[in-house]
Amino acid sequence: MITKNRMLPGVSGLIILMLVSCSLLAQEEKELKPVTRTYAITNVNVVQAPGRKMDMATVLIKDGLIVSVGKGISIPGDAIVIKADSMFMYAGFIDGLSRVGVARPKEEPSRDRVKDPGNPTPERAGITPQNDVRYSLNPSDKSVEDLRNIGFTVAQVAPYGNLLPGQSSIILLSGKSIDQMVLVSNASLYSELSGANNVYPNTTMAVMAKWRELYRQASQAKSYQSLYASNRNGLERPASDRVLEAFYPVIDQKMPVVFKSEKMLESHRILSLKNDLGFNLTLGEVKEGWPLISKIKASGAKVFLALDLPEEVKKEEKKDDKKTDKKADSTKTKEVAKPKTAADLEKEALEKRKAEAIANYTSQASAFAKAGVPFGFSTLTAKPKDIPANLRRMISAGLSEDAALAALTTTPAQLLGLSDRLGTVDAGKMANLVISDKSYFNEKSKVRYVFVDGTMYKMEVKEEKKSDPNAKVEIEGSWSTVTQTPQGSNDGKATFKKEGSSYKGTVSGGRLPSPVDMTSVTLEGNKLSYSYSLSFGGNSIKVDVEVTVEGDTFKGSASIGARGSFSIEGTKNPKN
Amino acid sequence: MKKIITLLFSSLALFSAKAQVDKGNMLIKNGTVITITKGNLEQTDVLIKDGKIAQIAKNIQAPAGVRVIDATGHYVMPGIIDAHSHIALDGINEGTNPITPEVNESDVINPFQIGIYRALGGGITTVHAMHGSANAIGGQCETIKLRYGTFDPEVLKMEGAPRTIKFALGENPTRSHGEASGIVPRTRMGVEFVIRQAFSEAKEYAEAWNKYNKNKLVKGFRGAPPAYSYRHEVLSDILNDKIIVHCHSYRADEIYMMLKVCKDFGIKRIVFQHVNEGFKVAPELAAQGAMASVFSDWWAYKFEVYYSTAYNAAILTRNGVVTSINSDDAEMMRHLYHEAGKTQKYGALTDDEALALITINPAKQLGIDSRVGSLEVGKEGDVVIFKNHPLSIYGVPMYTIVDGIVRFDREKDPDDMRLMVDPKQTIESATLRDKHNDQDHCMEGAEFILDSELFNANKK
Repeated sequence: MITKNRMLPGVSGLIILMLVSCSLLAQEEKELKPVTRTYAITNVNVVQAPGRKMDMATVLIKDGLIVSVGKGISIPGDAIVIKADSMFMYAGFIDGLSRVGVARPKEEPSRDRVKDPGNPTPERAGITPQNDVRYSLNPSDKSVEDLRNIGFTVAQVAPYGNLLPGQSSIILLSGKSIDQMVLVSNASLYSELSGANNVYPNTTMAVMAKWRELYRQASQAKSYQSLYASNRNGLERPASDRVLEAFYPVIDQKMPVVFKSEKMLESHRILSLKNDLGFNLTLGEVKEGWPLISKIKASGAKVFLALDLPEEVKKEEKKDDKKTDKKADSTKTKEVAKPKTAADLEKEALEKRKAEAIANYTSQASAFAKAGVPFGFSTLTAKPKDIPANLRRMISAGLSEDAALAALTTTPAQLLGLSDRLGTVDAGKMANLVISDKSYFNEKSKVRYVFVDGTMYKMEVKEEKKSDPNAKVEIEGSWSTVTQTPQGSNDGKATFKKEGSSYKGTVSGGRLPSPVDMTSVTLEGNKLSYSYSLSFGGNSIKVDVEVTVEGDTFKGSASIGARGSFSIEGTKNPKN
Repeated sequence: MKKIITLLFSSLALFSAKAQVDKGNMLIKNGTVITITKGNLEQTDVLIKDGKIAQIAKNIQAPAGVRVIDATGHYVMPGIIDAHSHIALDGINEGTNPITPEVNESDVINPFQIGIYRALGGGITTVHAMHGSANAIGGQCETIKLRYGTFDPEVLKMEGAPRTIKFALGENPTRSHGEASGIVPRTRMGVEFVIRQAFSEAKEYAEAWNKYNKNKLVKGFRGAPPAYSYRHEVLSDILNDKIIVHCHSYRADEIYMMLKVCKDFGIKRIVFQHVNEGFKVAPELAAQGAMASVFSDWWAYKFEVYYSTAYNAAILTRNGVVTSINSDDAEMMRHLYHEAGKTQKYGALTDDEALALITINPAKQLGIDSRVGSLEVGKEGDVVIFKNHPLSIYGVPMYTIVDGIVRFDREKDPDDMRLMVDPKQTIESATLRDKHNDQDHCMEGAEFILDSELFNANKK
């Protein structure tokens, strides 16, 4: 069955291709060794672990490790001193499941017809559990920086693919080479309950059947191999099988299986596979876990909850009501508000249920915390820029700040078997730290420094004037834009025209065959945002651009469907 | 053989997930009780205790705290059973291979589909949720009870119901595989061939395992086991009478062919589905104990279903074939009692015979007739209360009760019965056509086979 969802990645891949017109040749910069790897962060409020705070302390880092945390620590002469007066320090955040730093495969999953769709090669069916995500890591992928900028320092990353694409690694969000990034390789076997295009196994039920068969075949092959190893004389040689051999550490309970498990029914199905086969299970990217908390608890599965949340319902209607009320007042008619029609009431009821549904997602983390099920977070589907706000939404829905912090630090460290190295700000642990100017969960807080494995990343403090709601800028005219995508930079053109108090615009360039009208343009102060849609074979992909205008330039980001967001810059073209 | 394999892997089954099914108590007072198997009882009460029928008699005293429903002037009948449906499923056809017995609808039950609640509104309590008909040997099916309201797919499953599997003959499998992919089967002969081949392979597979397991007992034996195949495990289970075959079929010749295949491979339990030309081979079906599940009067939707008659159910019944009327459709499921009523116009079946087509007979076809399908003490408390006789055109289900719990109450029927709400769904003005629920799902999921050429063309 082809669903729209399954078609989207293919289509958005085309868009990326269309946006890329040439690739950039990065200029080689000569790398210098750091002068020192010793840092002293002084006068900082250290949240060493959830519920364990030390105010106005000094934290000393040397050679990638935390050397000491306390008051009155003498600072060595070679230390770079960071005066973090009144700032807050936490252990670096840990992401339980994502694809940060993993290069997207250049080729889209094949949907070609094969000669015998019932018997495809394992590769065509998406069965490559022997693959290692390390071979697809890209240290300079922008996603690494994006996630690090909000405080994450470590992530378990999974390869791209559908059924059994390969084995995950736990990586540091730092490092110039793949090997520098890798903290733990072959951490788990990654799987999704999604089928292959046009070949067996295509449906979820066939995926589950195939999973059971592979696991049982691997159990059988493994025991025959050990029989053979114990005495080879007179026994037929067991055949090598890369797919089945990848299951051996799972069967030995030395490697867990981590499943993407967004939907409630997926979670049920994955748990039933675990019940049938008995492997160690980690459920990742759980979005609808609240009705089956007790089932998850009983199964002993480890859990990473999604940091992606459905958008809140905007209360636009109320504004409209007020407007109409005012109008009604001014005209002084007796008809203050129109009586609600049956359709209005129905729509209201549906909106209410939708709001209730969204509340379930927002309060999921607090429900798990109340039930005493340990959980971490994962970012497989979340946009980094939404994550701090989503955490605050979870907190206002009942999750304590300590529990939120635990889910970002100590609990994932424990679930991933890294507690001896990560999760708290204590002497002897790896120097993975986040420093924010206010409490991290404060709406106005900004991350100022992130340390990963002792390497310091200082965040650019955005100048306040940059987003000035009172600024007056002129956008009318034509702008040349450059969008940076993983495949290189892409030139385009955006044109704005004033119509009354609002703007209209068109976008052209890249490989767009013809200009596309913007669906919306808003300018508030110097904050400009515009959207447009691209359609491919009946699917439409929305592109949202958000930039800050300064004079004749703008800077910001363009997000393309679910493909993520890319930086965009624009320059105004002189009037002809 | 299956046992050995089970043993091989049983050490891995650490715990089993038994679903917690809610069961209720209830007293239905003073209705006309249509038992199906033991005639009608006027002004009679039905007492349900802990989800089972505890007593059927006049003037039963309500035990303390038990809900009483007054059925005075109403008809009380067993919950209606649909032997052919595709509701409550995420995925109907694994249409990639003509033989896929290892796939199982039990893995993809979806308890949130609103069609379940709508079916309750039509008095349905048990449904055979089936794999589609794209493959000669399709997937295993699941018998579910409509316990709408649960979030747990396990709860919908009728615990302990026999395993069933979908087979398909004729145009659907030849179109899906022969025409679309250029592989066998392209003809009805090919369909027979792939079924026989699958069974022959399964026999060889079972023999290889038997031999290996026997040899293993000999001291000093050294050798490799046969490679495990989930597909052949399930096929062996069919040959060992552990699974009831439900075979999509229309034409008399292919039905007769399948009867011969069953004879050759020792398959005892088979139910023919649709079986529009069943009336031509009714004595042959009866002689072999094969059953038939038919539409009342649905035909001519493709070439192989032109030769049909509304007398089919009556002719089959009169020839001693256990016959049911099914919906294969979420909309038709809501008025199966009308469909059963048509057999009185076309074939003059008695009330009990007509109602048996949607109660005890489908229960027999699913192997659950000792538990549901009639109102008898000891059976499960699945009951529909009708205003007016269920075979009357004025018949309306007022309450639908599953395991002694009211799952549908016409007086309390809220507008929005969805269990899960999509938080990303935009709310637009209503549309009348519900694309998802008003179509025959028999070929769902197999469309790509036919449409993918078009898709590729679009891409170009």
